[in-house]
Amino acid sequence: MTDGDTTEGGAVEGGAVDGGDAWRGRVIDAHGHLGSWFNFAIPDPSTAGLLSVMDRAGVATMCVSHLLGVGPDARAGNALLLAELARRPGRLLGYAVYDPHDRQAPARLAELLDEPAVIGVKLHPDTHQYPLDGPAYAPAFALAADRGRLVLSHGEHGSAWSDPERFATVAARHPGVPLLMGHAGLWPAGFDAAARVADRCPNVVLEICGSRMTARHLARLVATAGADRMVFGSDALFLDLRVGLGRVVLAPIAPADRDLLLFGTMTRLLKGTR
Amino acid sequence: MRTVIDVNRILGPIPTGEVPSADAPGLIAELDRLRIDRACAVHALALYYDPVSAHGASEHGASQHGTSQHGASSHGDAQPAGTADAGRLVHVPVLVPGPLGTGAGTGRLVRLCPAEHRFALAGPHGLALAGEVADRGGGVLLGWESAPAADVHRLAARLPRLPIVLINTGYRSLRELADLMDAHPRIGVDTATLSGHLSVEWLARRYGPHRVLFGTGAPVSDDAGPRFQLDLLDLPEADVDLIAGGNARALLGLADEEWTA
Repeated sequence: MTDGDTTEGGAVEGGAVDGGDAWRGRVIDAHGHLGSWFNFAIPDPSTAGLLSVMDRAGVATMCVSHLLGVGPDARAGNALLLAELARRPGRLLGYAVYDPHDRQAPARLAELLDEPAVIGVKLHPDTHQYPLDGPAYAPAFALAADRGRLVLSHGEHGSAWSDPERFATVAARHPGVPLLMGHAGLWPAGFDAAARVADRCPNVVLEICGSRMTARHLARLVATAGADRMVFGSDALFLDLRVGLGRVVLAPIAPADRDLLLFGTMTRLLKGTR
Repeated sequence: MRTVIDVNRILGPIPTGEVPSADAPGLIAELDRLRIDRACAVHALALYYDPVSAHGASEHGASQHGTSQHGASSHGDAQPAGTADAGRLVHVPVLVPGPLGTGAGTGRLVRLCPAEHRFALAGPHGLALAGEVADRGGGVLLGWESAPAADVHRLAARLPRLPIVLINTGYRSLRELADLMDAHPRIGVDTATLSGHLSVEWLARRYGPHRVLFGTGAPVSDDAGPRFQLDLLDLPEADVDLIAGGNARALLGLADEEWTA
């Protein structure tokens, strides 16, 4: 946690709450998606609509994977991702989805990581029903280590596939790979477990999106894990970017911690990618 | 200046953590921090302890938390008149139907929790109680996880004049909400946990901004995110004004001159 006074947040100006605007236009969203999903409606799944919300909210860059890839077809989803990255230079950075059931996935990932806008690998052990520390994921971590890229994995406390303890296992195997724990455990009962893993594993970074996270939970995580070990993510266009962003902007945390969450920590991680 | 009313707030201690809103001053400080003018609050003891006995709630400290269920004004104000924060908190009684229930009470806005309190929303007792609320011009808050959509449909079909605000609907429920909202013009939603990408705008455009109300569900769910989102909605200012507080004022029966925040 950064030294300094805890912000009161909620600065009142013209009837709006903005929490101060030093962050505006500098935000890097570490966990976003393109595309659509099967079991609920996304009213506007267009990339243009997503960028419109980014502009409205002051988000500079979003790091995204394609939901077609997270779901049934990693190859097709990653191809769509590359096309969108080419259309939106500077606004979108990409995670290539790695399907542990695809025997050609290592070769395909090696090619995808040659793309300058692909900053890392997205793993979703729960969708693929394969444990994060299982051997089929080992090539993805090895490639990330070799190429100096990030790994973002869905993380879910209590899950047979992505419990925080599995992050500790793979983080120890691959200490040079920055490993983002998506959702910081997802469930409030798992936030403390996620923070304990971050404390034990210096290459684990907590990413904070999720529908169960509150500003109160976030402040507690900052106090225990430290904002320099956390990054802001929204899970857009699953979730509304503004809700996740507001949870950080208006959280009862110090402005310096807020800025680390919104762009500082992720800027450092991206500088570390080669 | 836009007025902001949180229609979905909990006051009092909750079993899952220590929260600032465990008492009324703490809740009002939270409202101030996020520039929320007023909150419609159910008491945590009515949700998690005993919805039936106001006496039981008082015995366990509800009064000292500023949420006495006795002596509420016609609008259910939970704060004593004459204080600086008079009217900031609107007490929302939690009602339970039947011979083991609360009776229909007097509040303009009430909350029903069928799943949590184990009664049938569209059963004979539930319909009778809801009918009494409708007869006095009142409306109900109803948690999305608290009753099957089919029961909400039955209630709305039987009592088409009753305003029903579905709260805590989550981000996966849009198709089911559309089914209900297409059929029943008095069904609205709050914004607490309605956190799907652009869901608030879609609902406001399809059904009208008069059917969307700002709410948070705090402290169980997040207040900062929905509050921030409210200021950044891609809707006309007049529509946002309705969502922020105009619709809640109408639901509570507050005339303009009664607005003091």
